[in-house]
Amino acid sequence: MRRPAATVAGGVLVLLRALSGAVWGAAVLFGLPPWLRATAGFANGDNIIPAEDTIDDLGLPPEVFVGVLGVVFLVQVVFGILLLWGSNAARVIVMIVSTISIVTAFVSWWEVGAEITVATTLVTLALDILVLLALSSRDAAAFARRNEKRD
Amino acid sequence: MTRRRRRWSIGHLLDGFFFVFAGLAAIWLAYLSLTQAFQVGWAGVLLAIVFWGLLAYLVLPRLHRILTSIYVPDYFMGRTRTSDGLLGDPVNLAVLGEREQIERALAAAGWIAADPVGWGSSWRIITSTLGRRSYPRAPVSPLFLFGRMQDLAYQQEVAGSPAQRHHVRFWQCPDGWLLPGGRRVDWLAAGTFDRAVGLSLFTLQVTHRIDADTDIERDHIVESLSGVPGVEVDVIRDFATGYHSRNGGGDSITTDGDLPILDVRAIRIPDAAESARSAPSADAGVER
Repeated sequence: MRRPAATVAGGVLVLLRALSGAVWGAAVLFGLPPWLRATAGFANGDNIIPAEDTIDDLGLPPEVFVGVLGVVFLVQVVFGILLLWGSNAARVIVMIVSTISIVTAFVSWWEVGAEITVATTLVTLALDILVLLALSSRDAAAFARRNEKRD
Repeated sequence: MTRRRRRWSIGHLLDGFFFVFAGLAAIWLAYLSLTQAFQVGWAGVLLAIVFWGLLAYLVLPRLHRILTSIYVPDYFMGRTRTSDGLLGDPVNLAVLGEREQIERALAAAGWIAADPVGWGSSWRIITSTLGRRSYPRAPVSPLFLFGRMQDLAYQQEVAGSPAQRHHVRFWQCPDGWLLPGGRRVDWLAAGTFDRAVGLSLFTLQVTHRIDADTDIERDHIVESLSGVPGVEVDVIRDFATGYHSRNGGGDSITTDGDLPILDVRAIRIPDAAESARSAPSADAGVER
């Protein structure tokens, strides 16, 4: 069965998040220009940390920073690839994670009145919603379930 | 001892939940991008375009899909459905015959098979339409009958660009399926004329507008095919009149209701040995 556009979109978006997280981490570690950091930070909402802070300002040893980011990066890459292969488990897990993230953002927007703007969390939220739309579509569901036994 | 299989698996329930939740989240996203568009100055134009793109291609299709699965019945009513679940082109043609016979007849009558929808063909139809270049095999969008996409799609380009074209889609009828009234046909088809590319006010998408008088296109298809040797035409008068007699009920097509039935069963398909002997041609295979 041909891989539908919705599945490709979902997998590519997850891989892009992984890439942007890696670029952001590198920008913090090696003191790369703030604009690069800000651009990469959009996708993961990492722009909560001020753009001028360096690795020393974070108060973390660099090894821990790299370690945590590395694990997150690996997990995102693995899930991105699993999604493109059409794994239903990966699809459901990514949908659940996206849903939690969206609900969290909605609660803080509705109850607390937190502003969602392009500069802060709108891009992250948009990517979460787009991933969810893509993976919940009938095409993506049919592709992920193509090996299931029928009654 | 066997466990009774549940009609509804947890997986399907979860899928349904995420399907609806994603639709609601997309509405929220469209709202956010609209409010942001008003707040960020000139860059708001870009956000407004993003808002339109989200609305037309993600939010509304998802909403339509959810609502039509509740409100639009799935039995045969003489209309095809779009991928959003909305009513599409009317079924205005029937065929008796095998797939190969239909394909040969159409090729002999000057119809060209459309490319399947894909990244390359979608890009190409956009650039060909904007650049007014010819693309005779331009893809046609999926329409659904019997719960599945068309089995065959053919078209004829008019005026040198994909903006205007005749096109017709064919669906094979399920085994033993009968028309309302009890007559058996092998294939059903929906033919309409794309008269221009424009913005649909209903779906907000850029799409082809069809000519409301679908009988012109139906008669054009029948005329082109009845010129092919071996093809016979029969008509069921007023077949669809009962489906389309309501005006002002959202029906944007007009028709006299007749259903032509094309009989292509007399067209010969050369077997493998014959094809190897004779040169390939687009002729219908009936002795000349």
